Amino acid sequence: MRVYWITWGVLLMFTSVMLWADGAAIPRTAFVIFMIGAMLTKASIICANFMHLRQESAWMVVTVVVGLFVTGTILYVLIAPDAARIHSMVGVR
Amino acid sequence: MTEAAAPTLDRWSGGTCPFGAGWRKVMMWWFIVTDGLLFAGFLASYGYARILAFHWPDQASVFSLSYIAAMTFVLISSSATMATAVWAARERRRPTVLRFVLLTALGGVIFLGMQAFEWGHLIAEGARLNTNPWGDASFGAYFFLLTGFHGTHVLTGVIVLATTAIRSAKGLASSEGVEMAGLYWHFVDLVWVFIFTLFYLL
Repeated sequence: MRVYWITWGVLLMFTSVMLWADGAAIPRTAFVIFMIGAMLTKASIICANFMHLRQESAWMVVTVVVGLFVTGTILYVLIAPDAARIHSMVGVR
Repeated sequence: MTEAAAPTLDRWSGGTCPFGAGWRKVMMWWFIVTDGLLFAGFLASYGYARILAFHWPDQASVFSLSYIAAMTFVLISSSATMATAVWAARERRRPTVLRFVLLTALGGVIFLGMQAFEWGHLIAEGARLNTNPWGDASFGAYFFLLTGFHGTHVLTGVIVLATTAIRSAKGLASSEGVEMAGLYWHFVDLVWVFIFTLFYLL
């Protein structure tokens, strides 16, 4: 049971640091990288400790992580940046 | 079939536990993956609109981040109480299960109340699905879509928890049943981690 409350404390600590970073004068690129890193770390901690994925079989972990992470990455990397390309197209707005 | 291939086939031949877990848990994980992909689609769509927008509203001037942080605190805390309930169910400590499941449900109700207050506040300031006073028109649509869809999941979770609490009080809830409710609740918390970062902070 102790691990759950340690996890709770770590998640709150990450959230506090993210809120601090939001108000700090950090360059935009570094800010975005830090936030996404912290977000993925928090998500991993929740999956591993609260959802007990750490104790499941390796195939279960691989299936869940590949299913979510790879598909999510494809959505972001292949689709979202296309919006930036539209800004540079001639005649748009 | 070679001898080396035989154990693999046994594992996948519709036997008792291909992933070393019961079917209920495997199916719950499948549901979580597919529901997670739905949110991933919403968030990718939001990312597209965000990059495309010429003037996306500054979140700090629209939301009270300390208020959103308090909502996050409530949800993370409810995840810890849920994990404790799952642990208690495995240890067969029924009163502890009931107490922590009810605490988790209370966290969910508080979160929903806070979200309703936030919605009411933004609607009073002029936020709508198709317009808002702060910037790009799609901001309101994405705000209501993302938080509304997540809120619906929280509401569903509260109903599941209430059912689990009643079953636990009657001595009908199995430890696996409590664990399934817990998996769903942690998923709701997991999704909020993404919404909190991508919509409110970035």
